[in-house]
Amino acid sequence: MTTYARQTGRTVTLPASLDEAVAALEAMPAAVPVAGGTDLMAAVNSGLLRPAGLVGLGRISEIRGWQYADGNALLGAGLTHARMGRPDFAALIPALAAAARAAGPPQIRNAGTLGGNIVTAAPTGDALPVLAALEATVVLAGPEGSREVPVSHLLTGMDPLRPGELLAFVRAPLLHAPQTFLKATGRTGPGRAAASVALVLDPARRGVRIAVGAVAPMPLRPLEAEAWVAGLIDWDGARTLDPEACTAFGEYVAMSCIPDPPDPAEGELPPAVLHLRRTVAALSRRALGRALS
Amino acid sequence: MTGPDAATATPSLAGPAAPADPPAEGAEDSRHGLGSSLPRTDAEAKTKGVFPYAADLWAEGLLWAAVLRSPHPHARILSLDTAAAAAMPGVHAVVTHADVPGETTHGRRSTADRPVFAHDVVRFHGEPIAAVAADHPDTARLAAAAIAVEYEVLPPVTDPEKAFSADPLHPDGNLIRHIPLRHGDPDAVGDIVVEGLYRVGRQDPAPVGAEAGLAVPRQDGGVELYLASTDPHADRDTAAACLALETDRVKVVVTGVPGAMGDREDAGFGLPLGLLALRTGCPVKLVATREESFLGHAHRHPALLRYRHHADGEGRLVKVEAQLLLDAGAYADTSSDALAAAVAFAAGPYVVPNVFVEGWAVRTNNPPSGHVRGEGAMQVCSAYEGQMDKLAARLGLDPAELRMRNVMATGDPLPTGQTVTCPAPVGELLKAVRDAELPPLPSADDEEEWLLPGGLEGSGEPGAVRRGVGYALGMVHMLGAEGHDEVSTATVKVLGGSATVICAAVETGQGFTTLARQIVQEVLGVEDVTVSAADTDQPPAGPSARGRHTWVSGGAVERAAKMVRTQLLQPLAAKFGMSVELLSIADGKITSYDGVLSTTVAEALDGKELWATAQCRPHPTEPLDENGQGDAFVGLAFAAIRAVVDVDIELGTVRVVEMAVAQDVGRQLNPAQVAARIEAGVTQGVGMALMEDLRAPRGVIKRPSLTGYALPTALDAPRVRIVALLEERDVVAPFGAKAVSAIPVVVSPAAVASAVRAATGRPVGRLPIRPQAAVARPTGA
Repeated sequence: MTTYARQTGRTVTLPASLDEAVAALEAMPAAVPVAGGTDLMAAVNSGLLRPAGLVGLGRISEIRGWQYADGNALLGAGLTHARMGRPDFAALIPALAAAARAAGPPQIRNAGTLGGNIVTAAPTGDALPVLAALEATVVLAGPEGSREVPVSHLLTGMDPLRPGELLAFVRAPLLHAPQTFLKATGRTGPGRAAASVALVLDPARRGVRIAVGAVAPMPLRPLEAEAWVAGLIDWDGARTLDPEACTAFGEYVAMSCIPDPPDPAEGELPPAVLHLRRTVAALSRRALGRALS
Repeated sequence: MTGPDAATATPSLAGPAAPADPPAEGAEDSRHGLGSSLPRTDAEAKTKGVFPYAADLWAEGLLWAAVLRSPHPHARILSLDTAAAAAMPGVHAVVTHADVPGETTHGRRSTADRPVFAHDVVRFHGEPIAAVAADHPDTARLAAAAIAVEYEVLPPVTDPEKAFSADPLHPDGNLIRHIPLRHGDPDAVGDIVVEGLYRVGRQDPAPVGAEAGLAVPRQDGGVELYLASTDPHADRDTAAACLALETDRVKVVVTGVPGAMGDREDAGFGLPLGLLALRTGCPVKLVATREESFLGHAHRHPALLRYRHHADGEGRLVKVEAQLLLDAGAYADTSSDALAAAVAFAAGPYVVPNVFVEGWAVRTNNPPSGHVRGEGAMQVCSAYEGQMDKLAARLGLDPAELRMRNVMATGDPLPTGQTVTCPAPVGELLKAVRDAELPPLPSADDEEEWLLPGGLEGSGEPGAVRRGVGYALGMVHMLGAEGHDEVSTATVKVLGGSATVICAAVETGQGFTTLARQIVQEVLGVEDVTVSAADTDQPPAGPSARGRHTWVSGGAVERAAKMVRTQLLQPLAAKFGMSVELLSIADGKITSYDGVLSTTVAEALDGKELWATAQCRPHPTEPLDENGQGDAFVGLAFAAIRAVVDVDIELGTVRVVEMAVAQDVGRQLNPAQVAARIEAGVTQGVGMALMEDLRAPRGVIKRPSLTGYALPTALDAPRVRIVALLEERDVVAPFGAKAVSAIPVVVSPAAVASAVRAATGRPVGRLPIRPQAAVARPTGA
């Protein structure tokens, strides 16, 4: 006799369309949707997660590409990092392409998807600050039809995924202006971000938007710093800024994201946190400088 | 080309005392034999993925084991209830401390202070408490989790400085060893005094394959253990003692070793396996998860090092004072050896008339420390080289020049009073790296080609990047020290046109099997040589560490091969009335000096099988006495490394551009392997310098995974440029060859730290270098 039961209860469905996937999830609420599996399968393999069933999203061709809709790009949740890193995509949303290229070694980028990055919502997720800076929204498909939620609402838990819902698309604006994504890691090879910044220029709205990743559970937007620096830029002219202004912007961003303790009696921040703040300042300054050069 | 005459080509340095100078010397450019870059025997199988590692083992009807490990670094076990686990369907046995039939403690190097299973107290996070055998790995893990343990959590001692005053963590006390070293005049003072505090983090050996093993019960009541052991005989003796069996009823068979930087955690692994196999009567297999591997195996000793260097106005060292504190973790393991190396090499490869060192290895509740190559020597190298940089800065001297004024040479004494009798070409090594051309600075137009610190898609900005050049010199001992009996035995057999080597030296990836083939090819002229797998039915060869097997096992193989050679040639020589020395063997043919006689080895054998067994035992050593004095080491190896780094001084990110290595190798027995060992060692050293630190706040390892523990990737590995391999033969070593693997690991971290100091002007006293320590203020635009 053996207790080794060959996963009899486990079901794997491979729907070919979003509707089928939603139906499969509705039919088996305990099933877990899986796309690239770069986070999920690591948890399964180490025994941390034993899903009752899996809904594989790999065969849903409608979410593996992108399309255009009223000045926005509608990105499929199944877009891999490798696909987003290619030059044609980089011409569309440069910061997202840069984040995708920095997301890990080739094996991970070939499998890992945009939707997976959002749903996993790791603080170090590389696409997240870019989506926050773009003010992207996500399209969620569920049994009651689809609904659209700002990505920040999803990440902060203000409006989480409901049971039976799948992340289908990401709606990101096409801004036709420079964008940068910069990431600081502990090593030269692929690594998790110690801090990352995504900065986009929005000439139509005369705005600069920046999001800082990895320093908090979700990307942070220093709105006051954005407004301050947007007011300094001559949007109709050369769109340049003094290096001093870039430095001041960097420090503004860093102080907003990693503020001093409210009570000075608590003493100074530990050296590692002060270094993180300096890193955020340097990255923000560099990001703005590169976007304006 | 080859022949007795060619022996005169041997460099005169290999003096008459050389006991093991091969007669057929000079076959240097043939495609086999010593000095040729024979490809590794296991290379093809490993590349194809068919090489059998321990985790690939299978036996019919096997059970799977799982080990219950402590979640606390320090706790008293109030109760242990295995009833629920034993009652689970599919569980065949649950064993705890109470089930160990023999010795309940074990340890390496004769300090048996480590329990097989913790019973009253757990002393580190991950200490084994019980083990389960079940018919499925998941069942075994679930059952292990179902063992009810009631703990009284005790405050952990995690600061080694507090271990002295803390309550004893173990009946043996918290001080594992103290070595005071007194050499010279304690009142000597120099014109210039520099002080420094250095810290070294906890490096994990992170073997590519986690620990795994299989135990098979035998008909006679004994057990066979299939383990990726690096010291099968010691593991067999431990298993026999703990399982209360005679040593001939325990057999350790060495399986493919998936990476070993020192001792693999085999005793702690083999014992539960053996116990479960005996208890259940079934084969039992255990494959550690990566998490268990990080928790269980031995790490590099974290160290706290305080130094005071005295020098005269010219930069010549007058006195070195040091206090060295090694964190041994909960059990002694090999800490005593690591401490001896740290104390003896505390001043580095420099001539220092007065040296005063206090060294301690103390017990804490941190993860266990043990043998990781370059142990002791690596930690102090990062400190004494930091001191040399400080002295150079104080005197306004070039760091290489300051070192050059102090280098040691053959005949100089070590602070232990031992005279360095082996070649010690430290000055030549330093000169070689100093004079090597520097890598070019990237020009403005190839900026895209320039891999900046922070990576390909990183945030590096050329304007913030500073280049730094740093030097480090270091030394390490070869073979066991302080009176260890460093002996190895090997058997060589010839039949027909092929030879077989039987030796229990474990191939851990260091290339011993390839070397053994080369030796036999060289001595017997037989092309087809097989090296049998190691097990404990063979005579002991000792652990695979510190270049031992190149020296003692290689020496034993050579002696055995030479005995076979004499047996083979004696009848021929007698028949033709000439002495054996006038006959030579090459390419399977035996020829006389005048070419009159020519026959093949197979013909000369005439169907006979020739066997010979020989031992190699280097000259004995002695333990360090109460003043840290004594001839403790058999041989020493040296290296000089120049590191070139790029530092982003705003982010503190570092990329090592190039490591220029000059190493004292004695003789290159296989140039391709020598280069590979150096590249591997340098890369491991760069990992130690920049990223590898297994953090265990309050004794608990936070992220025991390869995601949490950063190792160098291909993009982090620097260009390793071997600028010089000095082949000054060590007359007491077989073939004159020195160990090559450990010394690059010892020196590289110090070289990288030195280069980061040069780039940033910051002191850099801690390894790995944290980004905040490599941040500097830009000097001008």
